[in-house]
Amino acid sequence: MATLTNQNQGYPSPPWWRVFAWLWHWSSQRHRRAVEDLLKHVHACERRGQAASAESAAGAIGWSPRRAVKIIASVEAHGYIRSTPRGLELTDEGTQLAINVIRAHRLWERYLADEAGMPLTKVHAEANRREHDREGGRVDRLDAALGYPQSDPHGDPIPTADGRLAEFAGTPLMTWQIGQPARITHIEDEPASVFDQIAAVGLLPGQIITVKGSTPEGLRVAFDGRKSVLAPVIAANIFVQAIPQDAPVPAPVRSLGSLQQGGEAVILGLDQSLRGFHRRRLLDLGLTPGTPIRAERISMFRDPKAYRVRGSLIALRREQADKVLIEDGTTQTTVDAEATP
Amino acid sequence: MKLDGYAPRPVADLLDQAEQARHALGEGFRDRIVESIYKDATAIASRSVEQGERRKFDLDLLVDKVVLSPIFGLPLMIVLLGLIFWATIVGANYPSQMLADGLFWVEAQGSTLFDALGAPWWLTGFLWHGVYRALAWVIAVMLPPMMIFFPCFTILEDLGYLPRVAFNLDWLFKKAGGHGKQALTMSMGFGCNAAGIIACRVIDSPRERLIAILTNNFVPCNGRYPTLILIAVLFVATGFSPTIASAVAAGTVLTIVILGVITTLIASAILSRTVLKGEASAFTLELPSYRRPNIPRIIYTSLIDRTFFVLMRAITTAIPAGAIIWLLANISANGVPLATHVSNFLDPFAYMFGLDGVIILAYIIAIPANEIVVPTMIMVYLSQGAMTEEISPESLRTLLVDQHGWTMLTAINLMLFSLLHNPCATTIITMWKETRSLRWTTLGALGPLVIAFAVCFLVAQAARLLGWA
Repeated sequence: MATLTNQNQGYPSPPWWRVFAWLWHWSSQRHRRAVEDLLKHVHACERRGQAASAESAAGAIGWSPRRAVKIIASVEAHGYIRSTPRGLELTDEGTQLAINVIRAHRLWERYLADEAGMPLTKVHAEANRREHDREGGRVDRLDAALGYPQSDPHGDPIPTADGRLAEFAGTPLMTWQIGQPARITHIEDEPASVFDQIAAVGLLPGQIITVKGSTPEGLRVAFDGRKSVLAPVIAANIFVQAIPQDAPVPAPVRSLGSLQQGGEAVILGLDQSLRGFHRRRLLDLGLTPGTPIRAERISMFRDPKAYRVRGSLIALRREQADKVLIEDGTTQTTVDAEATP
Repeated sequence: MKLDGYAPRPVADLLDQAEQARHALGEGFRDRIVESIYKDATAIASRSVEQGERRKFDLDLLVDKVVLSPIFGLPLMIVLLGLIFWATIVGANYPSQMLADGLFWVEAQGSTLFDALGAPWWLTGFLWHGVYRALAWVIAVMLPPMMIFFPCFTILEDLGYLPRVAFNLDWLFKKAGGHGKQALTMSMGFGCNAAGIIACRVIDSPRERLIAILTNNFVPCNGRYPTLILIAVLFVATGFSPTIASAVAAGTVLTIVILGVITTLIASAILSRTVLKGEASAFTLELPSYRRPNIPRIIYTSLIDRTFFVLMRAITTAIPAGAIIWLLANISANGVPLATHVSNFLDPFAYMFGLDGVIILAYIIAIPANEIVVPTMIMVYLSQGAMTEEISPESLRTLLVDQHGWTMLTAINLMLFSLLHNPCATTIITMWKETRSLRWTTLGALGPLVIAFAVCFLVAQAARLLGWA
């Protein structure tokens, strides 16, 4: 996958007609991007049950109203959308194209977050740039390479290759019952400023969150052993789902990072938010559920710690150790008990 | 073959079914595959591998207790490095002298022979006093230290010590926005920066790999130790009694190396906060158990792979450099050798940085390989002043201090410049090969040069302001 980072496809220094061809190519690409951005916007509005219009498109994508009208007219002429008294609607063809773009977008987000290690706050913008290039089965190859993921890093479902898009599951956190733990299914990735704030608090899809109370300033929530107050404008972008009945409500688990030197524990599993390359790496090193682990050495600056796993010594930084969930195993006390008599 | 009850089904149907089954797998199936592999492996191991009583005395654990200790880890690392430098300086001193005597004797004999055969003076001079002398210098100055330094370093490598260095230093590199393995690639750079840059392939995040590549040059490679060691011996150690002089020289080189590590960290931090913005990524490193060093392999890798390789490279660049130096020193314009013209021209510029024109000229000639900086400098000086046949520390000191006005400031700035200046041509080419980007290669080549001039400028101006020089 390293090839995806270093693409240097410059056009060779061209005779004048090459320049012209390039300009032509560039302007048609630009137009195609605009069309696809518009279809995505109308699709998003439809799913939210809102009406899309030239104004909403201009606002969401950042066009001038004039440009928005121009593009809508051209897209309508292609038969992708139609204007109705309610607003803009996608035709079947338009829906199909929009879903293709969304699929590329969400797969790229998955790739960027998991494999390229890009911070979650940056993947959306980068995916917006990459989603338009879908030639030659590129997206299908990406899908296969990622192992056919079902949701993007924000919890949005990824459409399948044949264009099926799973229904959006989740209730807004604002309306969730106080005191009842729930799993975050989805965090709205737009507007970016709100998502950045949610990410800064440390909330991620897959986490268990409990609403402790509601005040005019916002919701008091608890997650991961932490407490925070979410302003309504932020909480409105978080969607949750009930934890299935048969799944045991996870007790507040400890992470490997909290294990003291000499402490022993058994690995419960890897955190949901650890994905892709780094998840595979830890699994390959043998950090699978049920494996005993021992914090053996702490470096001078207290940060990387060396753990004994399956007989070998493995150094992990704090950030990664925090993604390994443990339960106390055979602790020091048994050793002490042997030693005392 | 026909199976009853199995109606042959079209392939498309099966593929369809597989497709649906795959979506039902959920996201955790990769985890479950690895888990089941490990489970099977554990089961097989527990059936067939017998585990003896756990030994009371585990040497690995004991050694790790010291090597990875929060208290002793870092000092031990510095002491080990210092010891290697000390052994190199002490051990190389006498063989270097012998080699120099022997090789210069050959030069004298050779030129006498040429004269006797009636060869024109310029041919004798070009071949023997130009090409051959540069060759002899490089071999005499470089070979003995390399034959001590490389085996010592290879032993540490073979023992499994380097990953532990990475473990000890990781926190610093994390703060600088770099990868934990950058400590590893940096250590490889002690041998040869080009090798260190190739070693950066072990870093899987592109951003952090680029940082490691661009900053590898800040640890002195083997080609630069001779310069550092010679200056440390000639200038810093002479003020001390002979018994501790070599230790002082080793300490000086060690200080310069630590300065290089600090520069690496600062440069990494600057890069990761400006042009290569991003967060430090993961660091998983296996600390292998200690191995008994394999002596034949150490001898092979350190002497053939490294010493011989580096020496050959130095020789191939020393030959044209020797020719150029001889020509510069013997072609005169207005009765003054070209070399003097060039160094006089560079002098005012060099003075700002506490250096002199000859040093700058030597660094320009030595761009293909840093190894020949000191030989070039000395040969240019010799061609300008009185010719001394005998080359000993005392005569060199006389040459540099009394005849060419070197001061402590010149010595210190020369060491700093040697540490920080632009990478050699091989390293630059390696950078290009590894990044395939003109932009990053240019930054990697010119960035250090700018830093080197800036640091030398500051040191020179500060020293002059404070009246030290």
